[in-house]
Amino acid sequence: MKMKRRWGMAIDLDLCTGCGDCALACAQENNMPVFEDDSDLPKRVQFLDLMKVSNDRDAAYPDVEVCYIPKMCQQCEGNDPKNPKPPCVSVCPVVATDVGDDGIVSQIWSRCIGCRYCQASCPYEARAFNWWKPRYEGDFKKSLNPDVSVASRGTVVKCQFCSHIWKRERDRAVAGGELDINAVTYTPACVAACPTRAMVFGDLDDPGSELSRLLSREKKRTFRLIHTIDEMKEKDEKKWKAMMQAKNYPNPKVYYLTSKAWIKEMMKFK
Amino acid sequence: MGELIKRAIDTIKAEFNSYSTGVKIALGVMFFLTAGFVIFGIQILFWGLGYTDMSNLYPFGQWIIGDLGLVSLGGGAFTTGFALYIFRNDKLEPIINSTVLIGFLCYLFTFIFLVFDIGQPLRAWFGYTYPNWGEHLMPTSMLTEVIWCLTLYFMILCVEIVPVALKHKVLDAIPALHYVGHYLHRIMWILAAAGTFLSFFHQGSLGGGMWDIMYGKAVWFRAHHIYFFVVIIGATAGGTAFMTLCAYLAGKVMKKEVVPAETFHSIAKISGILFVAFFIARLVDVVLMATRWVPLFDRSYISLQGGLYGLWLLVLEFLLLAVVIVMLLPKKNREQEKRFLIGIIAGVAAITTDKLITVLNGSSVPNFPWRDYIWYWPTIQEWFIMLGGLSVMAMIYMWCAKYLPLFPHAEKHAHHEGKSQAVAE
Repeated sequence: MKMKRRWGMAIDLDLCTGCGDCALACAQENNMPVFEDDSDLPKRVQFLDLMKVSNDRDAAYPDVEVCYIPKMCQQCEGNDPKNPKPPCVSVCPVVATDVGDDGIVSQIWSRCIGCRYCQASCPYEARAFNWWKPRYEGDFKKSLNPDVSVASRGTVVKCQFCSHIWKRERDRAVAGGELDINAVTYTPACVAACPTRAMVFGDLDDPGSELSRLLSREKKRTFRLIHTIDEMKEKDEKKWKAMMQAKNYPNPKVYYLTSKAWIKEMMKFK
Repeated sequence: MGELIKRAIDTIKAEFNSYSTGVKIALGVMFFLTAGFVIFGIQILFWGLGYTDMSNLYPFGQWIIGDLGLVSLGGGAFTTGFALYIFRNDKLEPIINSTVLIGFLCYLFTFIFLVFDIGQPLRAWFGYTYPNWGEHLMPTSMLTEVIWCLTLYFMILCVEIVPVALKHKVLDAIPALHYVGHYLHRIMWILAAAGTFLSFFHQGSLGGGMWDIMYGKAVWFRAHHIYFFVVIIGATAGGTAFMTLCAYLAGKVMKKEVVPAETFHSIAKISGILFVAFFIARLVDVVLMATRWVPLFDRSYISLQGGLYGLWLLVLEFLLLAVVIVMLLPKKNREQEKRFLIGIIAGVAAITTDKLITVLNGSSVPNFPWRDYIWYWPTIQEWFIMLGGLSVMAMIYMWCAKYLPLFPHAEKHAHHEGKSQAVAE
């Protein structure tokens, strides 16, 4: 597949304060329903989950450290970025989910039959199922985003890097006389909302993008969620190659940055 | 209309009263579970899956275990059909009608449970109209393959069951239907061969391929579709044990010899041999998981066997497999009724445990190192739909065993008994 864009993201955990603005902005932008009991976390519908991780839950101040990890769909691409094969796409029996030439793993709510096979195959728990009928009480209905379709009960929904914003920006650019629509860039809602600029969004294939420059500058601080094979590449390249041949790896396009060793250590299963 | 309902109630009452006290109690429980199946089924279909204990962290639950179990155990229909019609093991003739009916019921209820399990039952047909076939002949999604293969095989089972139904004395008296039944029976080997071909694929894909393809999950992934082939062997082994168990129980309930002992011994022998193959295949699978596939995730196999449904289930599966082999493989054991019964029960239990390991343990394994194992306990809705569905299956089987020629051997036997009784009187 000829990739026109390879949208990715980097989140600097050292800058993240855990304020939750990203989750809020995401919920508003993507018409997240509000349920009677939203404390029922495993059944809550949200694209962006703010995970709280601690170095030692039993430790006392000042030894205890806490980190917030904003986690959305990691937009996996498999071993071959030119022929993306996310774990959730091939499993869908009705082609309700697909990966485009912009690298975004998309989902059509109205095509989904709700079998949840994609949810089971996702190693990042990034997909949410509408266990209840989505409700939008009172004035909430007036604030719904017309660019994002409202999901029905019994369908799986997911983060799509706010790709509707890209479409909107491209329409605007075309109206303004722009011919190369793929040259248009955009910012997802969560990135725009982050008050500390901890989140950076851009094209991983464009060496001039802010994201690419950040990742090449901060190589030592970079890691990916529970993707320990990255470490293997540095330690033993031969073994890494053999492992990559043995199986597909999710190879997510969301990167995290931290200077704290314990956070990276948390990514390993004991 | 009122008269019709009254007659229907009277028929049900007469039917109910024709059984012994023990069976009456069992029927009462099954009616209760069926009532729950209807009530909670409506609730789930109209108000959604929120009433289940499944969640975004635990997306597959009891009904998927039921689907896997039913398809796997129902796989005995194709194995028995294959052994009878292709390998010409004529000893299996007396049990074949029963196995076809059980296969039919297992697949029918797999579809019914799937309808409850998917979030959008009204979109179930999307599987046929928008299949994920990909670029080549082979389907991209294992679930697409399952949907198509299950449907085609279910159609075959529907045709296979027609001659059994047509042998009912009322239908058999109509000459046209008699000939249809007769000629359908003669082409049964073609259906058995086609059924085996299809069944091989969906047994592998639903029970194994669907899981081993998930390359993001350490607990399920195997390269080269190894689990795909392991579960096919499992289905042939467990399925034959299940078919035997059902016929055995039918004989106990009906208090007569429904199937001759040599049929039971023959099918138990087949099951025993297949269980040896399954034992070896599963052992190789576990060893490969522990040494090759799980380490690719930078995890250890034993760390995936924690939580409530971990290591003990795996140990239990192998213990049960050992029991089946010991009870069914040596001739003197399988020809002794108690040991034979322990063997086939252990066989069914071993395959059920295998499915529990796949779904229950597989879904409970944490995806992040800082998370604990997940605990899942089905809600009352899930229990009633599952057990109610199984009750309906059992009742249909009981009714068919009584009124359709499920067991031709028993009918001949009863005929002779009737004659001798008449002579004695």
